[in-house]
Amino acid sequence: MWADTLLIVFISICTALLGEGLTWLMVYRTDRYQKLKAEVEKQSKKLEKRKEIHGDSLDKQQKKKLEREEDRLKHNNRDLSFVKMKSMFAIGFAFTALLSMFNNIFDGRVVARLPFFPVTWIQGLSHRNLPGNDYYDCSFIFLYILCTMSIRQNIQKVLGFAPSRAASKQGNSLFGPAPGQFK
Amino acid sequence: MSQKSKPLEKNGATNINKTSVWSRAFTANSEWLDKEEFLDVIYWIRQVLGVILGVVWGVLPLKGFFGLALFIVINAVVLYLYYSNFQGVDEEEYGGPWELTKEGFITSFAGFLVTWIIIYTGLHYEKLEEL
Repeated sequence: MWADTLLIVFISICTALLGEGLTWLMVYRTDRYQKLKAEVEKQSKKLEKRKEIHGDSLDKQQKKKLEREEDRLKHNNRDLSFVKMKSMFAIGFAFTALLSMFNNIFDGRVVARLPFFPVTWIQGLSHRNLPGNDYYDCSFIFLYILCTMSIRQNIQKVLGFAPSRAASKQGNSLFGPAPGQFK
Repeated sequence: MSQKSKPLEKNGATNINKTSVWSRAFTANSEWLDKEEFLDVIYWIRQVLGVILGVVWGVLPLKGFFGLALFIVINAVVLYLYYSNFQGVDEEEYGGPWELTKEGFITSFAGFLVTWIIIYTGLHYEKLEEL
């Protein structure tokens, strides 16, 4: 069982690296992305600073100016999401295929033992495709998701691909809040 | 004299700015001009803490809801002591205590769960299975 557990950690490191590598190839290294990212970061920092300095004491004209800048930032943020989207779809498809392959390999196999009793709404995930009613048994998908959550985020951070805090705080991307906001 | 003191001053000035993040992270009441840098320090301390606690919980082993709750409490308290007592930063500058408490929390929690589950499975469950 332990071999399976460690194998899953290894798999999730590999897929995280692969995912970031592919995204780098298709998105991060492109000029358009880099320009937009730099622009968004600059604007968000500027906006944040301005808000901090002025606080609520803004006259009408300043407020309008601030709003205009916010709009521009939103626009840029949307562009940034569009640049990312295309490759995200491609990578998403590839990963769905990979995941279903691993799901088949680990089908019905208990890969780890949980040291806690999972709450009901997690049981569907932690006991997916496992025989029996022992909910302490952990399925592949649950461990894989946990590994990916921690490993991918940290790899992004180390490589400098994670969205900056100022940008994710200021602008909302196309699909609601940026991932950085959930940290 | 004046010639000698000049470069010294210069060095001093650059040293303050360039003191590595590492040494500032472990020095009490350091100056953090760049907020991002300090938030990164908080983030990485959380990650390391998550893994360490995961290993300890797995070895002991701690189990159940108690283990989860204890992790959350320790994680919040240790980081709170770090930024408010050790570094003495003004929380409001960073958007209040909540912003600092949630910085990197989910990732740290995931890292903690992974190490806890792995160590627990390897040390305590594998043996039971063999018997």
